Amino acid sequence: MLKNHIKLFLRNSFRNKSTFLINLIGLSSGLTCVLLVYLWVSDELVKDTFHSNKEHLYQVFRNVPNGQGSLNTYTSNSSMMLTALQQEVPEVDMAVAIFRINGTALVENKNKKLRGAGFFASEDYFNMFSIPLVSGNKSTVLKDVNSIAISKKLASTLFGSKDSAIGKSLILKNSEDELEDVFTINGIFEIPENSSENFDFVLSYKKFLQNRDPSDIHWGSNSSNIFALLKTGVQIEGFNSKIENFIKDKDSENQASVFLGLYANNYLKNRFVNGKRSGGRITYVILLSIIAFFILSIACINFINLSTAKASKRIKEIGVKKVIGAERKSLILQFLTESLLLTFLSLAIACTVVILILPWFSNLTGKELTLSFDSNLILLLTIITLFTGLVAGIYPAFYLTKFNALYVLKGKIPTSFGELMIRKGLVIFQFSISILLLIAVSIIYMQLDFIQSKNLGLDKDHVIALERQDGLIKNMDAFLEEAKNINGVINASYMQGSITNFSNSSSNHRWPGQSEESKKLTFRHAHVGPTFIETMGIEMKEGRSYARETPNNNSKIILNETAVKLMGLENPVGTVIDMRGPNREIIGVVKDFNIQSLYQEITPMALLCRTEWVSTLLIKIKAGEESQVISDLTKLHEEFNPGLAFDFQFLDAQYEQLYLSEQRVALLSKYFAGLAILISCLGLFGLAAFTANLRKKEINIRKVLGQTTSQAFVMLSSEFVKLVLVAIFFTLPIAYLLAKDWLSGFAYHISLQIWYFLGAGLIAVLVSLFTVAGQALLVANSSPANALRQE
Amino acid sequence: MLLQLKNIFKWVNSGGQRIFLLKDINFEVSEGEFISIMGPSGSGKSTLLNVIGMLDGFNEGEYHFLDESVHSLKEKHRSNLYKEYIGFVFQSYHLLDDLTVKENLEMPLLYKKYGSSERKAKVADMLDRFNIVGKKDLFPAQLSGGQQQLVGIARALISNPKLILADEPTGNLNSKQGEEIMELFRQLNDEGVTIIQVTHSEKNAAYGSRIINLLDGRMV
Repeated sequence: MLKNHIKLFLRNSFRNKSTFLINLIGLSSGLTCVLLVYLWVSDELVKDTFHSNKEHLYQVFRNVPNGQGSLNTYTSNSSMMLTALQQEVPEVDMAVAIFRINGTALVENKNKKLRGAGFFASEDYFNMFSIPLVSGNKSTVLKDVNSIAISKKLASTLFGSKDSAIGKSLILKNSEDELEDVFTINGIFEIPENSSENFDFVLSYKKFLQNRDPSDIHWGSNSSNIFALLKTGVQIEGFNSKIENFIKDKDSENQASVFLGLYANNYLKNRFVNGKRSGGRITYVILLSIIAFFILSIACINFINLSTAKASKRIKEIGVKKVIGAERKSLILQFLTESLLLTFLSLAIACTVVILILPWFSNLTGKELTLSFDSNLILLLTIITLFTGLVAGIYPAFYLTKFNALYVLKGKIPTSFGELMIRKGLVIFQFSISILLLIAVSIIYMQLDFIQSKNLGLDKDHVIALERQDGLIKNMDAFLEEAKNINGVINASYMQGSITNFSNSSSNHRWPGQSEESKKLTFRHAHVGPTFIETMGIEMKEGRSYARETPNNNSKIILNETAVKLMGLENPVGTVIDMRGPNREIIGVVKDFNIQSLYQEITPMALLCRTEWVSTLLIKIKAGEESQVISDLTKLHEEFNPGLAFDFQFLDAQYEQLYLSEQRVALLSKYFAGLAILISCLGLFGLAAFTANLRKKEINIRKVLGQTTSQAFVMLSSEFVKLVLVAIFFTLPIAYLLAKDWLSGFAYHISLQIWYFLGAGLIAVLVSLFTVAGQALLVANSSPANALRQE
Repeated sequence: MLLQLKNIFKWVNSGGQRIFLLKDINFEVSEGEFISIMGPSGSGKSTLLNVIGMLDGFNEGEYHFLDESVHSLKEKHRSNLYKEYIGFVFQSYHLLDDLTVKENLEMPLLYKKYGSSERKAKVADMLDRFNIVGKKDLFPAQLSGGQQQLVGIARALISNPKLILADEPTGNLNSKQGEEIMELFRQLNDEGVTIIQVTHSEKNAAYGSRIINLLDGRMV
């Protein structure tokens, strides 16, 4: 019997090629999407899940009132938190502090110089985090002040092999943290593939504390990340309310409340709004899963609609089979077998397509994805395919087999009102989803475009950023002087941190006329070079810049507009305030400029002209002369840093990275939206072809009675366009609400215009019109004589 | 006695009026009979045939088939009954276009759960008996109307029914093909198969041993 079903399926598909192809293309595209999204999502979901104690592994966060009515959440904490947790909180089984080195550090072994990323970590780091050591002892590897653990990769680059590296020493330098020392390799680790963090070395936290100016070790200086392993059985809610005032109790000046958040959530739920976790990457995981599901359902709907619409073609077969002895059960089974065969065929195509486009997809998502048919995947694929086949097949199967055999003998099947409504409803659903995706894609793109072209208050174009390392630590000024002499270099300066990651902040500053509320204001601050403002094209609002000041002066400060406004200063220039040192005179106010992603609003900010902690050099180049200047700079860099590669980044590229995940999702949704529309239109095409044919006789009778070809065309196409209009009507309000919600996450966003929505609707109408037009024309143009003779 | 109809009424309600399709139908059919049902269009011939074939129900009356009371049977039981004892032949043949002659013949056996070798033997037997061995791998579209109807009859016979119901079996055929089909029916009847046919043609009706005339749903 099965053989018979398969035979009939194949012959039937061959005879109805267009329907078969529409279904095959639709279902295999849908399954391809599902498969790709599965690969992407499962890669996202396993991130950081390899830590064996992940259920009890927490990070310590701080919520600080920002002086503007809401809470800012910080991941950083005072280094004093480490011992306080270890000694005073019995629920804490283990605590670890980490200090991250901004950018990279220079790692040297003999003549080999490399840049590496890493951090200082306290002794229990390797006990707490399941990062396996290929050599070394977990408990003692970070015990000595000058000990270092390096990655297997770094070990083999620097020493040839991991075995020869252990026990050797290397030199590590970093300008921002004024670090330059010899370290002994005590351990070699290998970071698991699904770790969200990637680093090359781990130093002892003792070294960090040793280097730290003792005056900077207090509850208000938040340099480190603190992690805590809670004892089993500790309820996190209760524990969090217990330690909420931990910092305030230690330091009455401090406004910060403490809470612990699961470390495993950091990757997917990485955004905080007003002190609570609120979305992040998980939003995109959910979004893409929903999109994939919708695309698959659009394909299923095609199958359902085409099978039921074309019922009359199969109804004879069903009726005859019933009369000669087939039970309904066996007929239902036959149709389900057919839809399952089709789905499995589509699955095979989908797998092939995925294998072919996986390199492209990996590139698009910035992941290294592989399709390995392990038992999990096979099980999942089987379930999805069975499910899809059943969902697509069950309604047609029951619908087609419900008719009494008698109808066959009479040669007609009754088309019920309900059935027509179901078919129309499904088409409306398909187009609603397509229109929704269309609107989503256009709004995401417009927002990204808006962000990237928004006046940031600084000129990010043609600016090179490079890290201050090696020879530049001592000779930065000389290097910059010589760089300025290169033909095509407009200006050059330096800054602490990087222009897109400006995380240093402080509070508890004093100024004349300060209000009680503004005492809590948190300021970002950075050390910058004298010509920083000029190099970055930041405009002065009043006063003067640092251009004529000497670096390392302790008496001047420049603020941004927002700072002045929130501080309530009426005549800021000349005012003496206490900020990052007593008695600083405000010499100028700069217009606001954006240093963070536009998710965040501009915060109060102070610029100090100092060389300490400076880690980034900025060089502004004349447009069009980049290549010459870069080759000159490369030579100059080699003079100052023999043996070190000239690594640099253009600032606009750095800005783009701030929106990398948005851009990837935008790109993905663009493809998915296109696919959704394509599959919907394929279905519409199939339906249109069929109904046009069905109404051929009617149209021709109308034509004999005087209907013109254009009237016939309008009549036929309007039937489908009406459905699309209904879809638009339902979708627009939903799209509007969703768009508003998404945009509200950005501090700066486009304002929603009605034509964004109507435009998408118009596109859907045009595309559907285009799809059905051919079929409608064909029928509208047919000759009545021929058509009616057939009867 | 093969079947007996007693006071069969069938009607539909249309616009508040009861329209009778069959009115007080009474007759018996014995095994081995060859009956022709005649009457003008709309007289209820096909309806009566469908009622006999259990494809359609009726509103009043009794219908006995072999020893079963069809009117009191459940749907499932009823369909088992006709599947076992009745073969249908249609005016427009109703062969499955996607199946070859051989596969069309095999279809009823599949649903009756015959084993593979038994199916093969029966199909071969039937092809032989109807002299269509050479056509066994052709699709219906490749056959003439008469040949298609031949296959249709072969398919109706393959599971050895007691009764063949034929609804204008020659309606789509030319006179020569029609004659051949009627000859075949006569031959089958001689071999003991009971046949009830609906026909418009006096000539075809004459092949039967008895004629039932219908007018407006009533036997005349």
